[in-house]
Amino acid sequence: MARGVLKLPEDLPVSVPRFVGKEVTRLEDPGLVTGTAEFIDNLSLAGMLHCAILRSPHPHARILRIDTSAAEAMDGVAAVLTGEDLRRWCNPAVTAPEGWGSYSMAVDKVRFVGEPVAAVAACNRYLAEDALEQIRVEYEPLPCVPDAHAATTPGASLVFEEKGSNVIQSRVYDWGEVDRMFAEADHVVSNTFRWNRVGANPTETFGCICQWDLTGNALTCHGSYQVPRFMALGRSATLRLPANRIRIIAQPMGGGFGGKGGPRGTDIAALLSRKAEGRPVKYIEDRIEYLLAGGGQSWDRHYEAALAVRADGTITGLKVKLLDDQGAGAEGYGTISAAKPLAAFTGCYRIEAARYDLTLVATNRAPTYPFRGYGPPPHYFVLESLVDMAARKLGMDPAELRRRNYIRPEQFPYVVPSGNEYDSGQYEVVLDKALALADYAKLRAEQARARAAGRLIGIGVVSTVEPGVFDWNCYATVGVPGVGVPEGVKVAVDILGNVTVAVGFNLQGQGQFTVAAQVAADYLGVDMHAVRVATAASDVALPHFGQGGSRLGVSVTGAVLGACRKLEVLFCRVVAHLMQTTPEQVELMDGRLRLKANPAVGMTLAEVAGTMLARSDLLPPDVEPCPEANYVWTAPGRTAPDEQGRCKSYLTAANATHLVMVEVDRETGQTSILGYWIVDDCGTRLNPATVDGQIEGGVAQGVGAALFEEYVYGESAQPLVTTFVDYLIPTIGEVPSSRKAVVVTPSPVSPLGAKGTGEGAIHTTPAAIMCAINDALSPLGIEVRETPASPRRLWQLLQQVA
Amino acid sequence: MTDKQRVCVTVNGRRYERWVEPRLTLVDFLRHELHLGGTHVGCEHGICGLCTVLIDGRSGRSCLTLAVQVDGAEVTTIESLRDPSTGALHPIQQAFVDAHGLQCGFCTPGFIMTTVELLRENPDPSDEEIKRALDGNLCRCTGYQSILASVRLAARRLREGREA
Ligand code: FES
Ligand code: FES
Repeated sequence: MARGVLKLPEDLPVSVPRFVGKEVTRLEDPGLVTGTAEFIDNLSLAGMLHCAILRSPHPHARILRIDTSAAEAMDGVAAVLTGEDLRRWCNPAVTAPEGWGSYSMAVDKVRFVGEPVAAVAACNRYLAEDALEQIRVEYEPLPCVPDAHAATTPGASLVFEEKGSNVIQSRVYDWGEVDRMFAEADHVVSNTFRWNRVGANPTETFGCICQWDLTGNALTCHGSYQVPRFMALGRSATLRLPANRIRIIAQPMGGGFGGKGGPRGTDIAALLSRKAEGRPVKYIEDRIEYLLAGGGQSWDRHYEAALAVRADGTITGLKVKLLDDQGAGAEGYGTISAAKPLAAFTGCYRIEAARYDLTLVATNRAPTYPFRGYGPPPHYFVLESLVDMAARKLGMDPAELRRRNYIRPEQFPYVVPSGNEYDSGQYEVVLDKALALADYAKLRAEQARARAAGRLIGIGVVSTVEPGVFDWNCYATVGVPGVGVPEGVKVAVDILGNVTVAVGFNLQGQGQFTVAAQVAADYLGVDMHAVRVATAASDVALPHFGQGGSRLGVSVTGAVLGACRKLEVLFCRVVAHLMQTTPEQVELMDGRLRLKANPAVGMTLAEVAGTMLARSDLLPPDVEPCPEANYVWTAPGRTAPDEQGRCKSYLTAANATHLVMVEVDRETGQTSILGYWIVDDCGTRLNPATVDGQIEGGVAQGVGAALFEEYVYGESAQPLVTTFVDYLIPTIGEVPSSRKAVVVTPSPVSPLGAKGTGEGAIHTTPAAIMCAINDALSPLGIEVRETPASPRRLWQLLQQVA
Repeated sequence: MTDKQRVCVTVNGRRYERWVEPRLTLVDFLRHELHLGGTHVGCEHGICGLCTVLIDGRSGRSCLTLAVQVDGAEVTTIESLRDPSTGALHPIQQAFVDAHGLQCGFCTPGFIMTTVELLRENPDPSDEEIKRALDGNLCRCTGYQSILASVRLAARRLREGREA
C-alpha cells in the first residue's frame, strides 16, 4: 500500500535513491549542446509571415495621425496594424492594482519611448522593417514625467489621465510597535538609498508565432513563454477571446529570469495574423527592442530607511520607506516586486517590529517587470547596509552583530513581523562555516596591513533568507487575489513500462525536466534517462504556473511524488486483485510491485501497465484501463492575508552567507573582487550541480547589478541605454570564482526537504559587494548608497576626498 | 532592396550556391536559408558572441558578417561537431554536459565554437587564457564557473585522446 508524505529522499521506494540528490547529467543537455533544441526562432510554420514593430521615439505624446498607406501598398506586405485596430478589437492590459494598463499598441497617445505604435506583417523580416520606414506618424509631444520624484510634484503631467494622479498605490504596513522600538532605541541608524533600474536580459529575447483561427475564433501561440496558462488568461482579457480558445505552446527558452515579457508582442502578432487571413505571424524581438521596452527593466527605487538598535547590538526595529518608479503603468506586474519583501522583510533577524511605507508611481519610463528575486535584492541591499552602518556606529564586527540578531534554530517555525513563517534554518552554523572557509580573521589582518599601506580594501559579510515557493497571497495587498499556486503533472506508464511525465511548462535553464525525471525514476524504480518529460499545451495541460518565485523545483517534485503515489496505490490494487490478496499486502520497491510477505513474488511496472491496457478481463471491475495519474500540487498550509498583508506565504526559507573581499582603485574608482566565499543552506539538494549553477548564475547577476548594469534615462525620460555596449552584462572576466560550502537543513514542510533556491544568490551578492565597498571606503569617511557602484560613481565620490 | 548576388560557400563541408540580398547577414543566411538553427542570435550588434561560427577556421561574429562576404570561404557551425555516423557528441560538447557548463543552453553553441578554436591553437590553456578566449561570449545563466570547468575538462580529454 502507498506511503505517506515523503519527507526525505531516503523515504522513496527504492533500496537506495540512485538519482535524487545526485549530481546527474541533465536530460536537457544533448539537444542544447548540439543546437538542435527548438527555440522559438528555430520554428517555422507553412505560410508564415514576419512581424516588425514601429516604436515611439517620444516618452509622452499624443498621436495625431498615422498614415500606413505606403506600407500597405508594398509588395510582400500582408497586413499593417495600428492602435485603431486595438481600439476596435481589444481591451487594455489587466493589471494589479487594476486600471493601470495600456493597450498592447498605443491608442491615442504614447506613454514611453519604445511603445509600439504600428506593426507590419510581411514575407520576411527585412521587408517588414523596410515597410516600417514607409509609415508616417504625427505626434504632439506632451510634458513628460521623467522620474519618480517628478511623478508626485503638484501639477505633474498625468501618465494615465483617467486616474487623476500618478500614484498607483500608497500605503503603510505597520507590524508591531515600531514607534516604541525607535523611541526606546539607544541608536538609530538611518539613511537614503538608491537602486537604479536593472533587469533580466536573458540571452534569448522574447519571440512567438501566433495564428488566428478565423473560423474557429481561436488562437494558437508558440513562443518563449515562461508562464503559459497565465499568458493565456492575459490574452483572453486583452484579445477578447474565451480562455479555452487560446492555446499557448511553450518552446524551450533561452533564459527568462522573470523578465521575458511577451504580452504585447503576442497580442500584436496575433492581431496581425487576424488581419492577414489567419496566416501564422512570427515576431522575434531584437535586443534593442528588449532593452528599450521589453520585459527587462525592474526595480527603480528610492529608499529612506532606519534601524533601531540597542547598545548591546540587539536590533529591535526596521523602517523602510520606498518610492518605486513603476514606469508607464503596471502592465509588467512590477508592483508585485514591491510587495514581495513582505515574505522576508526582516531578513535573518529577530527584529520585533517593522514598518513598510510604500509608494508606487507611474512615470514615462518603460513599464517594469519581474526580475529574479522579485524585489528582495534592493531590499536586502538597504537592510544589510543599515546593519553594517550600525556595526560601524557600535564599533562591532559586522559578522558578530549579525550573529547576535539571528533567529535561533530552536525558534523555528518562526513568524516574522510581516507575517510569513520561516520553516527552518541554522543561520549561525552557516555564518561560522563561511567565516572559517574564508579564514575571516586572516582576511581582516590582511585588510589592516593593506589599509596601512594606503589601499582601499573592504570585506562584506552578508546573510539573507530566500523565501522559496511563491504564493499569490504575498501580493494580495497590491491587488493580486488568491491563495495557492497549482502545479500539475501527469505521470504515465505505457504498455512496455516506459514512463512519461507531462508538465505545463517548458525548459528555461534550471533543469526542472531533470528533477522531474530524477524523482519519477527513483519512485518508480526506472532509469532516469528512460523517463521522458514533455510539455503539454496550455489548453490541455493540468493547472500549472511554470518558473517563478523559486518554486518550480519544489513544486514539480511535489507534483511528481503525488502522481507516483496515486499510481502506486492503483498498481497495488491491480496486483492484489491478480494475486488474490489485499492491496495492503502489496508494496512497490525498486520498480516492482511485490508481496510484502514474499518479496520474490511480484510484477514489474511493465507487467502491471501491460495488464491494465491489454487485459481488461483480468482487472478489478472498478479499475479503469489507464496506468496514468494526475497530481496538482500546491504548497500546504498557506493562509489568506490580514489587513496588514500578513500571511503564510512562501513555503520555505533558505539561507546563505556570502563573504566578499574587494579593492577599490583610488585613481579609477574601479572595484576588483579579490575573493568570494559562499555557504548556502537550501535544504535537500535534489541535483547539487543544478543548485551550484543557480548560485553561480545568481552571483553573476548580482555582480552586474552591484557594479555595472543600469538602465540610464535622460532628463526627459529618453532611454540612454539601448545596446549591450551600454548595458553591461558581466563577462567571464568580471564574475569571481567563488569558494563554496554547504549546510543542509531539510525543510520539514516541503517534499523531500528541498527549499526554493533560484534567487538566494541575487538576494545576497549585491548587498555583500556594496557592504564590502563601503567597508573599503570607510577610512575616507565616504560611502556609496547608490547602485551600481560603477567606476564613474565611485570616482566622483573619491574626488570629494582627494 | 538591391539586386541579389551570388554566394558560393562551403558550410560544414558541403558546398552551397545561393542568390542573396547583399544586406543579408551570415547568421540569417545560415539559420533561415540553410536551416542550420544551432547558431543563435542574442544582440545582432557584435557583443554577445552567441552567433560565433568559424570562418576559414577563425571564430567570427556571424551577425556582423554579411552572407556575401563569405563567398568562397569555409564556414563551420555547431552542427558539424556531432559525429554523423555514431551520433556521439564531440568531446567539447560532452564536456559541457558532464561539467554542467550550461543552463538554458542558448549561449552554448557560441561558447563551444569559440572553444573549438581555442583548443585547436592551445591544447593546454591556463584559466587566464581560457578567460581571455571566452571574454567575448556572454552567458546570463551560469556565472561562467561551470563553463570554465567544461573547457578545462574538454582540454584534458582532448589531450588524453591525442596521446592515446
Ligand atoms: S548576435 Fe552576434 S554578437 Fe550578439
Ligand atoms: S546557459 Fe543560458 S545564457 Fe548561457
